[in-house]
Amino acid sequence: MNSIIAFPARLAVWLLLAPLLPGIINKVKAWVAGRRGPPVLQLYYDLARLWRKGVVVSTLASPGFIAGPAVAWVAVLAAALLLPLGPLGASLSFRGDVILLLYLLALARFCTAWAALETGSAFEGMGAAREVSFAVLAEAAVVTAVLTLSLQSRSVSLSAMLVPAAGSGTLLLAVGLFTVLLAENCRVPFDDPNTHLELTMIHEVMVLDHSGPPLAAVLHGAAMKLLLFSVLLVQAVLPVGKLPPAAGAGALVAGVLVVTVAVGLVESLMARVAFRRVPLLLTTAFLLCVFALLIAWKGGAA
Amino acid sequence: MTMGQLMALAILVLVAATLSGPRLPRVWLALTLAGTAALLGAALWALGGSAVWDWRSGFAVGGERLHFRLDAVSAWFLTLVAIVGGAGAVYTREYWPDHERPESAGRGRAWWSALVLCMGLVLQCANGLHFLMAWEAFALSAFFLITLERDRRETRAAGWLYLAASHAGTLGLFAFFSLLAARTGSWDLGPMKDHPELAPLFWVALFGFGVKAGLFPLHIWLPSAHANAPSQVSAIMSGVAIKMGLYGLVRFSGWLPLPAGAGWAVLALGAVSAVLGAAFTLAQSDLKRLLAYCSVENMGVILIGLGVGLLGAANGDTTWGRVAMAGALLHVWNHGLFKSLLFLAAGSVLHATGTREMSRLGGLWRAMPWTAGLFGFGAVAISALPPLNGFVSEWLVYLGLFDAAAGHVPVAVAIVPAAIALGVTGALALAAFVKAAAMVFLGAARTQNAAHAHECGWWMRAPMLTLAAACVGLALAPVVVWPFLRQPLGAWNPAWRGGEPPAPLAALGALQAALAALVAAAAGALWLRARANGLRRALTWDCGYAAPTTRMQYTSGSFAALAVGWFAWALRPERWLRWPRGPFPSRADHVERIPETVLERAIGPVSEVVMAASAWMRRRQQGRLPDYIFYLVAGLAAVGALVVFGGM
Repeated sequence: MNSIIAFPARLAVWLLLAPLLPGIINKVKAWVAGRRGPPVLQLYYDLARLWRKGVVVSTLASPGFIAGPAVAWVAVLAAALLLPLGPLGASLSFRGDVILLLYLLALARFCTAWAALETGSAFEGMGAAREVSFAVLAEAAVVTAVLTLSLQSRSVSLSAMLVPAAGSGTLLLAVGLFTVLLAENCRVPFDDPNTHLELTMIHEVMVLDHSGPPLAAVLHGAAMKLLLFSVLLVQAVLPVGKLPPAAGAGALVAGVLVVTVAVGLVESLMARVAFRRVPLLLTTAFLLCVFALLIAWKGGAA
Repeated sequence: MTMGQLMALAILVLVAATLSGPRLPRVWLALTLAGTAALLGAALWALGGSAVWDWRSGFAVGGERLHFRLDAVSAWFLTLVAIVGGAGAVYTREYWPDHERPESAGRGRAWWSALVLCMGLVLQCANGLHFLMAWEAFALSAFFLITLERDRRETRAAGWLYLAASHAGTLGLFAFFSLLAARTGSWDLGPMKDHPELAPLFWVALFGFGVKAGLFPLHIWLPSAHANAPSQVSAIMSGVAIKMGLYGLVRFSGWLPLPAGAGWAVLALGAVSAVLGAAFTLAQSDLKRLLAYCSVENMGVILIGLGVGLLGAANGDTTWGRVAMAGALLHVWNHGLFKSLLFLAAGSVLHATGTREMSRLGGLWRAMPWTAGLFGFGAVAISALPPLNGFVSEWLVYLGLFDAAAGHVPVAVAIVPAAIALGVTGALALAAFVKAAAMVFLGAARTQNAAHAHECGWWMRAPMLTLAAACVGLALAPVVVWPFLRQPLGAWNPAWRGGEPPAPLAALGALQAALAALVAAAAGALWLRARANGLRRALTWDCGYAAPTTRMQYTSGSFAALAVGWFAWALRPERWLRWPRGPFPSRADHVERIPETVLERAIGPVSEVVMAASAWMRRRQQGRLPDYIFYLVAGLAAVGALVVFGGM
């Protein structure tokens, strides 16, 4: 597709469609619970409202408190733009872009944790500590998953890595990546996005002190990150790139919807795991990715 | 002027600086800056023009004629010596002045120039004997710099430990150079790939240089020496001096034939150093000790790159090994710059508050905005986050690993775990530096010291800003660095002499610049929007708690607790816990300490056994005649027995 049209199209997908996902998840949860639930577009209303609201900043916070969410948002958007979007392709593709993507997400994590620690609040310190610690295990799983794709496709560039399906290890990789998706986006069973002020949370507790436009940036960034991981998961599992454009787009959209609904179902049907079990769950995800990697390796040797 | 004249000028000026150091601070500063500028000029000349300066003296020193040689590999490390040597000299003027340290300031200046000079000589000596001499002088001047504050007990202990460990390494180097000289018949150093019998010597060099580089089980001296030295000394030790060990490894792995397992061993050592170094980094509560352990981690990252480079060279490869080796070399520069910056910023904190303990600091950004900003910058850079320079070099190392894995090379068995280890290292380092920056500069002041801090002056700020500017340059224009970087790469392995960048460096640099601009724009826009909507200050929301105190903040220990628990098998944290008991509990406390595991759990017990054995031996040497007669008779009997039974 023509790059002059494609770039705004990709940008529009990431910026405008991302807030749909949390809405869909909430609808699914409401449906399972037999409630009517908030409208699917609730997050859009929230964002519009927050963008117009005033800001209350802690007396302790430095300018980094406002800069943190801004940098994190840019980092997630930049990471998203590196990811190929089915037939729309990626904005920019070069050897090693996948590593840049991982480290842009790390930059977002650094800034979110930094902004959380600005306030000197015990709760936010706790959230930041958990976020950066669990990321150690999640990072191992993600790097392994990416290595698997790299071994499978014999390439180090996202647009080539994500074209074929992940081969015979697909199921393992899908489960592993889905677990990482839940952890990285702070969904049940790792975290509960519905509770506030609870001692067992990670992400929500880090953003307790944000308000107004910075909170809008945090919420929108979180939605983009969820979409990013869903798109990554779907393209790693399905051979989207090998289908004709229309079918590829359809498969991508359907896949993201399936992932979103699955997140909602997990959230409705499961409880949050005991806190000390979280590392075990993440290690399991890592091991699943390792097995997928071994299969890809064997497949490549044969 | 020729390169040789420039080098001679630099050496003379630095000798003059050393002599003027004790009495004439201004003259010393001018001479040191001139000397480092000349070193920098010579180094960049060698890197730019690919010329090799080779000079032999007509006279002999210690029975051997001097032989200096400045090629691209030496020049690559010399650049770092010059930049950090100059920056630290400026910093010293305000940080360690005569009126505050009348006893040690003069000594400090003299040893500083001596250290810079000796490191410069180590990098140029192409004669084994003189290399050892320069190496020893370099180690000794570093010892005197570490122990500048010698009235403190910890400083003396750290100095002795450094000296002992350094000499253990030098012992290895003595063996290495004398075996080399014995087998080649000359002390002269140079490419010797055509002597396959020299290959096993690599293991000796790996030990000798590994001690200096602070690789994981050999790093025992590093944390205490770097933490207790004056901060400008920590900066040059951590940023540059440990790179001398690395220089030795790069230099001799390029010149000597290598045993088959060399690449595997270096890669494994690098992965262990990186992961465990990062885990120890996260666990520290002393700001400078944290930075010191982070050096172990970064040495590990560099060694991963070097290991992949060795494997690539051994397999006759021209792509993945070359990329990883380029990353390793670039990381030498990057780490040297941002680690010095971080240590100088830590020195500014120590200067202002008098403590390195992160749990006694906090909220310093208000009093020290420059230091806070520069430390934050260094923290992002060292966590290898885009858009700064740490990412460029780690990205190259990753790219080498991923290229090798994607190519299904025969050594992928080693490559794949190393890539995962590098990922884990990155996440741990990020956690450690979020912690360090936040505990020191963000939140509320935890003690009065922190509340009454003051910003450092321009003499300390200027060197930090210079180092930060160098980091920005390397981050945004890596493709400009490539013409320099390809020289040491080609000198190390002539098969990799090609001119094409091994990776899309231009694309990465453009992306990094775009990202930096976008980040600044977004932060500015969000700030303007927030201000337009109305910005109000209020107390931190502590879930409705009405009387928050500064002691309720997360501390360094609590922040790291989770990950420290996962690495308890290596870190062995020690805890003393007294629970509050009874209806009216009198007191309760909880003390947690991360020991120097290798030193206290491995080296300590072994040296105790050695000491006990020596003490026992000493009791047998009391000068009593009957004992000696007994030894004599027993010895004769043993010889007799050997003669009688050995002959049968």
